[in-house]
Amino acid sequence: MNWMLLLLLLPLAGAALVAFMPEKSARQVATLVTLLCCVPFLAMVGQFDWARSGVDQFQTTAVWFEPLGLSFRLAADSITMLLVGLTVLLGPICVVASYTAISERQKTYYAWLLVLQTAMTGVFLARDMVLFYVFFEFTLVPMFVLISLYGSTNRKYAAVKFFLYTFTGSILTLAGLAYVALEAARANGFWSFDFEALKTAARGMTFDQQKWVFIALMVGFAVKVPVFPFHTWLPLAHTEAPTAGSVVLAGVLLKLGTYGIFRFALQFTPVAAYEYAPALAVLGVVGIIYAGLICWVQSDIKKLVAYSSVSHLGFCVIGLFALNGVGLSGSVMYMINHGLSTGALFLLIGMIYERYHTREFKKLGGLASQMPVWSTFMVFFAMASVGLPGLNGFISEFMCLLGTFQAGGTTWTEFGMIPGRFGDASLLPGATFGNLGPWFAAFAAVGMVVTAIYILYMVGKIVWGEFKAPGHSAHAHNHAKGHGHDNHHGAAHADHAHGPLPRDLSGREIAVLVPLAVACLWLGLYPSPVLRTLEEPVAMVVTQVRADVLRNAQAALPADPQTADAHTPALLQQAATITEPGRR
Amino acid sequence: MPTAPITLAATDLSSYLPILILVGMAVTFGVFNVVASNLLGPSRTGKVKEKTYESGMDTIGSAHKRFNVRFYIIAMVFLVFDIEIIFLYPWAVTFPNIDQSTPDALLWLGRILFFVFTTVVAYVYGVRKGVFRFD
Amino acid sequence: MNNVIAQLWPEIALFVTTCLVMVVGLSKDRGTRKLCAPISAIGIIVAGYLAATTSVDTATTLPFMAKYGKVLAAGVGLLLLMLMAGTADRQLEDAVDRGEKFEPLRSTRAEFYAFFLFSLMGLMLCAGASDLIFLFLALELTSLPTYVMVALSTRRDRSMEAGVKYFFLGAMGAAMFLFGFALIYGATGSTALADVAYTIQNRAAGTGSIGPLALTGLVLSLLGVMFKIAAVPMHFYTADVYQGAASSVTAFLAFVPKCAGFFAIMLLVGCAGWAFGPDGYGSGTALPPELRILLWTIAVLTMTVGNVLALLQTSVKRILAYSSIAHSGYMLVGVIAGPGPAESTLASNGLAAVLFYLLTYGVMSVGTFSVVAALERRRRATAADAAIDEVDHIDELRGLWKRQPHLAAVMVICALGLLGLPPLLGFLGKLPLFTSALGAGEIVLVVILGLNSAIAAAYYLRLVSVPFLESGEPSTPDAVVPTPFPSRALAGVVAAVLVVVAGLAGGTLGSHAERAGTFRFPTKTMEATRHASQPTSTVSVPPDAAERGPNAR
Repeated sequence: MNWMLLLLLLPLAGAALVAFMPEKSARQVATLVTLLCCVPFLAMVGQFDWARSGVDQFQTTAVWFEPLGLSFRLAADSITMLLVGLTVLLGPICVVASYTAISERQKTYYAWLLVLQTAMTGVFLARDMVLFYVFFEFTLVPMFVLISLYGSTNRKYAAVKFFLYTFTGSILTLAGLAYVALEAARANGFWSFDFEALKTAARGMTFDQQKWVFIALMVGFAVKVPVFPFHTWLPLAHTEAPTAGSVVLAGVLLKLGTYGIFRFALQFTPVAAYEYAPALAVLGVVGIIYAGLICWVQSDIKKLVAYSSVSHLGFCVIGLFALNGVGLSGSVMYMINHGLSTGALFLLIGMIYERYHTREFKKLGGLASQMPVWSTFMVFFAMASVGLPGLNGFISEFMCLLGTFQAGGTTWTEFGMIPGRFGDASLLPGATFGNLGPWFAAFAAVGMVVTAIYILYMVGKIVWGEFKAPGHSAHAHNHAKGHGHDNHHGAAHADHAHGPLPRDLSGREIAVLVPLAVACLWLGLYPSPVLRTLEEPVAMVVTQVRADVLRNAQAALPADPQTADAHTPALLQQAATITEPGRR
Repeated sequence: MPTAPITLAATDLSSYLPILILVGMAVTFGVFNVVASNLLGPSRTGKVKEKTYESGMDTIGSAHKRFNVRFYIIAMVFLVFDIEIIFLYPWAVTFPNIDQSTPDALLWLGRILFFVFTTVVAYVYGVRKGVFRFD
Repeated sequence: MNNVIAQLWPEIALFVTTCLVMVVGLSKDRGTRKLCAPISAIGIIVAGYLAATTSVDTATTLPFMAKYGKVLAAGVGLLLLMLMAGTADRQLEDAVDRGEKFEPLRSTRAEFYAFFLFSLMGLMLCAGASDLIFLFLALELTSLPTYVMVALSTRRDRSMEAGVKYFFLGAMGAAMFLFGFALIYGATGSTALADVAYTIQNRAAGTGSIGPLALTGLVLSLLGVMFKIAAVPMHFYTADVYQGAASSVTAFLAFVPKCAGFFAIMLLVGCAGWAFGPDGYGSGTALPPELRILLWTIAVLTMTVGNVLALLQTSVKRILAYSSIAHSGYMLVGVIAGPGPAESTLASNGLAAVLFYLLTYGVMSVGTFSVVAALERRRRATAADAAIDEVDHIDELRGLWKRQPHLAAVMVICALGLLGLPPLLGFLGKLPLFTSALGAGEIVLVVILGLNSAIAAAYYLRLVSVPFLESGEPSTPDAVVPTPFPSRALAGVVAAVLVVVAGLAGGTLGSHAERAGTFRFPTKTMEATRHASQPTSTVSVPPDAAERGPNAR
């Protein structure tokens, strides 16, 4: 029983089914299908060998397009399992959260949401580069449909900008992948886009080639993450998307970019990644602080949370480019945690929007008095987002910062002396090989303060203080806020300012938030099972990067024995005997 | 792969020089005559001099007469069947030389009959379209 | 002689069909007249079958292209034929329905289908051309009927204007490439493509360049053929002609001359090119530098001009016209990339990539044009024959999702395919262009190709999203209704299904294209083969006539 194929095909079948069902039952079918998806995932969890979490398991191969060497290849290692788990968790949550938000053209909505689920799962499971690219690109279409049909006022522009920006970036990624495939074809004599084959070929490229391939690959992923100068699509897309769209965008789609960096940019072009780590980390830190400052001056809550995504993912990026065990593990954890907490924040904002049809700070305030349950969840997830110890955000943020801090040293490792960039961190105990250092961590930590400022400011204004909401000050709130769907709510709003929904959260809404809250709490208090599963794949990547950097450094050493370091013969000997653990 | 270059007819462009001179002379002749007569000749016009010639009389009516399109169509039809005849000539001249007892002869006859058949199709098309209706 | 006939069975089948159609279309009986389209369909299917089973490898540098090209012409030709329903003689037939007499002089149905088949025949001949004169005839046979088809396509002035524009510019293009062919003959002493290739490449191996006369000849021929594929700077006619003709004829123009043009370009560049690799003669990696610069400039300009100008259009047909210019540019990248090292696959053989792209592009463009062709604009609340016009403005496609969801789906799928979104067929067509160009070292070109694909996304997204918008105000006097010819919509649906299915399972199509793109370097033996396949007299001459000779009578 191929659980991965089932995970991919089930939502597609569900989408087809929804297309033929009557409008009323579309949401039930969608809920059922997304809940059913948990079954193959749990089966995979059961069958996965957690002791060898770095090895690709459940490998599935089929021929797709022979003349180009494309194959349909799926596999899962622990990182994939975690991210697929996030997707599978957010699937039913998004569907159930949309029950009241979408009242028109429901079939189209749920069908595309299910297709999006397949596409996202496929990205994480794919082990053929073109297949990865296919799923990566294919997430654009459902998102485009969801934003442009069901979004708020500026949805057209947001959807088009999102699509074009991301598409442009990923075309350049495709060019990079095609180049790597070309190198592999030259080395092997036949064309294949298999991940392992391409990885071997890519790591064998010269530094100049790796440099350009790295830039090409990073352009696409940097737009997706988004890294600082390429982030302008995100606030627009997030604010204009419907609630479930924002949740899945922030929760999973942004992780496609960071996953891509982890899986491809770092593993295909390790030497170039090492060389450019400072540059990328600078962009990350700028993103953290700049986006954080913008959050502080926002007047729209959703936009605030959207910019906070940019800020948070800056931490993820610097963790990735720390290129050590702590940083990479922290970065992967960050992906999961950010998905959980920011997804929940968007859900909460969506619930407010359904009731009061506004997201402005000026119009909302002191909701704790009217909506205590909502407020509890709001504070909880806001604290998770800030990084309060005890909740999940703290673990990942701390690990990313620690990894960055440590990654500076000129260090002696079992591979010999590996040059670092910002020298004196080598004197610190625990410093690892890497190209970043304490300064990066220091600036990023400033970002932590900024995060706290804007989150607390937001929470303070909205949750506490004097109660104000539209409909209590003015009865006729303007429907010109504009939904993508109809204004039936207008008639029903005659007596309740918060529409047909209960004043506080309904049972369904609580049911949607509870799993996220439980996950946040559990990952905050007891993250070690997850961290343990991450050890092996992260160690594999770190070892590969170190080995390649050392090999590159050796190649650049002068051959003259007089000027060479006294330890060079030993280094060369060690370099010759490098074997990478994890290759079985 | 052969390595010696093959020499062919000269691509020496200087052999095209006479043509260039000829073209130049033709252009010069034409241009010179028109320009010179414009510059050197007298320019005395008058109402009678500018009139259209019609055997010394005053002109009657416009020179732009319309004529029936059937003349044009007939010319086109002639062209089609004339081309057919042109293709028939070589065949007619060489066909008797073929040994009539071989099946090849039938093949050659069949080929020309196919060609004539296409002309028959054109004829049928023309009849239906009314090209042979002269009135 | 028999060998030559053996190459021509598909074309002969089409020709017989043409003869039939020309006569049948003028019959007095309505039912017989309507047989034109089915007869054409049968003819195309038979021609395709004959092409697939009886094709002979031509003695050129691309020997297997003939079979692939002919089957491609038949396949896409069938889809185009489905689109042609109702283009010719619609008002005339409606008048006959109302009781008027059928006047063959005013009817254009016979001619229309005959020209359609003639043009397809020319395309098939182009694919199998092994001689410059043959190639010229084939290119002309492909385009001349299209001039008339454009002029006949609607009864409005704009199609006449489009036809005249197309004719004049096409004639100029034809004159250019004929002159180029003449110069090539002057430079090499032969018109057979095999000999031309052999001579030019030999001379290049000996002296290091292909010679000024041959170069001029090649450049002129290429420029003339660039008109057919609507490459910059010969693209100016495209938007007006595509907009002026009826949509079904536009779909024809978007595929057939482009296909013919690319066959010709590959044969011509094959005469000179891909012999100057870093390893010297015969290594097969690079074009002669002058040709490469010319093709590179044309490719970049074509892609960019096509995409950028398409962004500014509001007419669907003009958007598709400029997009077809851009796709020509993409395919020129494949031509520049060349056939790659020996035994190259689809991923490294640029010529195979171009042939495969022609297939994908043909299918997708039929799909998008079918949506426009399957709709018409009619004055509301008027008699049936009053003021029917074509759908042209992009806003007229609004709300298509509600009214004709199948047409909206076709437009979405085919536009996304043209965009190159995986896993549709368009992506599989674009990927080999990427990889083969990278393999030839053309990195800048690939980056430009990628950026242009991104620019193209902007206007394809418009085409994709417009059917989902709400319809315009009902105050306009025109309603957009489907045409009464279901085969047009059917052509679109078939195309869309092909785009999706072949995108997932199109391996065999790719391998056929791979084989078709195999580039064979001209050798002395190839020349010998060509001479062997020439018509040797199998006729037995009576001995006395041989002595006396034909003149001794």
